[in-house]
Amino acid sequence: MRTSKEVKRTHKDMHAPKKETPHIIAYRMKCARTANGLTHFVMYGDVPKQQMPL
Amino acid sequence: MNRSNKRNQGTYLVDIDPAWKLVLDPENIFWGLLNKDDQGAYLPADFLHLYEQQKKQLDRQLADFRFTTELNSVYIDPTDRCNAHCPYCYIPQEIRKHGTQMSAGLLDEVLRKIKAYFKDSRKKPVIIFHAAEPFLVKELLFDAIRKYRTSFLFGIQTNATLLEKKDVDFMKAVRAGVGISLDAPAKALNNHLRSTGNGNGNYDAAMQALDWFDGYEGLSVITTVTRHNVTVLEELVRVLHAKKVSSLLLNPVRLTMKSAVSLKPDDTLFADNLIRAVETAMDLTEKTGRQIVVGNVANTILAIVAPAARRMMCDISPCGAGRTFLTVTANGDMLPCGEFIGFKEFSGGNISASSIGHALHSDAFKRVRERTVEMIDDCKTCVFRNICGAPCPAELHARGDMYQKARSCEFYKTMIRYAFQLIARDKVQYLLRSDAVRRMEYEYLYA
Ligand SMILES: C[S@@+](CC[C@H](N)C(=O)[O-])C[C@H]1O[C@@H](n2cnc3c(N)ncnc32)[C@H](O)[C@@H]1O
Ligand code: SF4
Ligand code: SF4
Repeated sequence: MRTSKEVKRTHKDMHAPKKETPHIIAYRMKCARTANGLTHFVMYGDVPKQQMPL
Repeated sequence: MNRSNKRNQGTYLVDIDPAWKLVLDPENIFWGLLNKDDQGAYLPADFLHLYEQQKKQLDRQLADFRFTTELNSVYIDPTDRCNAHCPYCYIPQEIRKHGTQMSAGLLDEVLRKIKAYFKDSRKKPVIIFHAAEPFLVKELLFDAIRKYRTSFLFGIQTNATLLEKKDVDFMKAVRAGVGISLDAPAKALNNHLRSTGNGNGNYDAAMQALDWFDGYEGLSVITTVTRHNVTVLEELVRVLHAKKVSSLLLNPVRLTMKSAVSLKPDDTLFADNLIRAVETAMDLTEKTGRQIVVGNVANTILAIVAPAARRMMCDISPCGAGRTFLTVTANGDMLPCGEFIGFKEFSGGNISASSIGHALHSDAFKRVRERTVEMIDDCKTCVFRNICGAPCPAELHARGDMYQKARSCEFYKTMIRYAFQLIARDKVQYLLRSDAVRRMEYEYLYA
């Protein structure tokens, strides 16, 4: 088992543990950074930060 | 009615499907999916340890998210008028026909006051030009965007009927968010639902707009799901994916207006069809490498895997109305949410005579913020109460009492179970926007 301090994985391994039939799947993610610190799917004004003109 | 705030503590076991059962603490959304094949009947000690270790922090996190998240967006209705006649629209017909249009002076005053409210904020607030049809006054909007684009992020929600190619170029250039309404993949059905009169509707204009936007990342399509279009959602996903649309909201019709009540789709039929649409969206995303995300299902997934990362709107209690966002109508009245436009008693004052801060502290806004799932008899013991949120207070107020469960309760329960199945099937990466997934990291992972 790992805890938040030990786990610094990001999207690349964002999947359930790779056992054939895992006994338990449990995880919690957090947002490291979004365009406006707000949203996670494009909706009203939330254009990815690197694409903002300003 | 008992509206006590008594908390139900601890974890619950929920049957998800023949393969999986769920352990869930509804108070903080700590969850674990257990494979039923594994007959180890009891929970492993290290899993229970993880729960004990995380519980306090997760309790605090969810409470902070529910009760302390601050205003981050303002919807502005630059005109109360509309050139269409969607039968379910929550804006009363009288207002859409004869409503006010905002003057340039008032819009500037509104934006100045919003800017002043956010003067110490590190984040740019989002301004969304919304109901009724903002493109009826497009020069007004574009002038405002030009003037305030360094202060705000802008979005415009439209039926696209008045959109011209040069408008699209402008919106792309200023990186505005755009929502286009489209209710069906076939012209006849769409135009029946989104009529502009004389047998016409917004189909051709919306399709033309999608071509002009040509895969623009800031574009999202909104579909209002009624009993008329509930069976065409999968086909709609295919058509929109072919048009390079990357984000789609398939929203249940709100029954705020009486005329919408008979349009509600059957909960089971809606869930079945939405599930088919999501499966198709995942399949297309996986096979083509080009993403189409169903936004409302993405939000349910986020509510489970990263609760504090979801966009706080309808699916959390108290909802975002009058807290993370508010609406300024064309005459300057401030409402907790556009859904309250037909209810004068929910006005938090007029912005010309008052301020954003005053509206947020008004009794009318407090009344909406006070509505939590813990105060609704049917919801307070529901294990999904902090994933569903029991929307929507405006709709339920219109239907007699805010303190009742969601009209589509069974639909939400089915979709939440389905969301857990998707997590068990390891599909999360196809369900959230890819740039969002890249920015997520694990807080904990049981493995
Ligand atoms: C009120 S319209 C205003 C902007 C613009 N006229 C448009 O059609 O996009 C915004 C969105 O709300 C949706 N809408 C209107 N009435 C609704 C209802 N009763 N339930 C759910 N969505 C609704 C519309 O379909 C549209 O997608
Ligand atoms: S509306 Fe239904 S699913 Fe939602 S919290 Fe209430 S009882 Fe639960
Ligand atoms: S739940 Fe209703 S009032 Fe709240 S944000 Fe959603 S639509 Fe608006």
